[in-house]
Amino acid sequence: MIDIPYAIGAIVVMAVVTFGLRALPFLAARFLRNNPLVQHLGRFLPLAIMTLLLLHTLVSSARQNLSGPWQELLAVLTVLALQWWKKHPLLSILTGTALYVLLRNWGR
Amino acid sequence: MPTTPDLQAARASSRISVLSLSVPVAMGYVPLGMVFGFLFVLSGAPWWLAICTSVFVFAGAAQFMMVPMLAAGLPLASIALATLVVNLRHIFYGLSLLDKLPVKPGPRWYLIFALTDETYSVLTTLPPGTSTRQMVTVALLNQGWWVLGTLLGALIGSQAQMPLVGLDFALAALFAVLAVEQWRQAHSVAPLWVAVLSYALAWVLMPQQALLIAIGLSVATGLLWRQPAAAEVTP
Repeated sequence: MIDIPYAIGAIVVMAVVTFGLRALPFLAARFLRNNPLVQHLGRFLPLAIMTLLLLHTLVSSARQNLSGPWQELLAVLTVLALQWWKKHPLLSILTGTALYVLLRNWGR
Repeated sequence: MPTTPDLQAARASSRISVLSLSVPVAMGYVPLGMVFGFLFVLSGAPWWLAICTSVFVFAGAAQFMMVPMLAAGLPLASIALATLVVNLRHIFYGLSLLDKLPVKPGPRWYLIFALTDETYSVLTTLPPGTSTRQMVTVALLNQGWWVLGTLLGALIGSQAQMPLVGLDFALAALFAVLAVEQWRQAHSVAPLWVAVLSYALAWVLMPQQALLIAIGLSVATGLLWRQPAAAEVTP
């Protein structure tokens, strides 16, 4: 069970940070437009962060799975390949998840 | 392009065109919102908190990232930092909309609040001269789809007591899809390798806090990593 006051705190923090970021350009446009560091981070970070989130969820799933990391690897490679070729997020997510559920429940 | 009679016809059908712009967003937001609501409830939180998140935060990737972080009980400061990093790209959305948003404070601030990836892309495709009301309608519709999906997913999640092992892989699949799209747009693959190495190092140092340490390492590397092309932009 998740502690409710803690979760509410997280929602408030996330709402404030997200709104702050979306509002920032309207308050500090000139500074941001000309700051090379901000532009550089904006190019560098998104791919890095997505890769980290992907790695972290994969590692977490693999740790709870006695059948080793092969099922996770197979499923994620399927998602990556499908998305690369077909560019259809929903198709990639549903296919990958269905494959993983199949492997986990009936694949021993 | 449109002459005067065309313009009048366009005004008359404006409600329909605004709706049709929101339909592709609905096709993405309802299922993804369902996945979020489902996973959120599955991680042990009540359904109404999932709704609150989608109403007050309204940020796709960050909300998904929140699920493992809440489950791990990370400190609020870490959640704030991770949200900052994941949503940093939103700064650039605002920059390109500076002159496009209405001046009236109410609609203006709601549109700024609702500036997700999808709402941004819809707002930028609206023709110049689009009324304030139409812009707000699109944004409200989009958030409505997201909240509706969350509600459906949360209700299904609180009914089903973990029906099948492995359904939470949808989260990893979503991150994989987003990573592929980021990769497609990226100027170099360096951020990918930095992330992989950061995570490996963080895992060796402190497996319990691997995600947090890896985010810190990646940001630090990003700050230090100056490609030759970046140097010439200095004002």
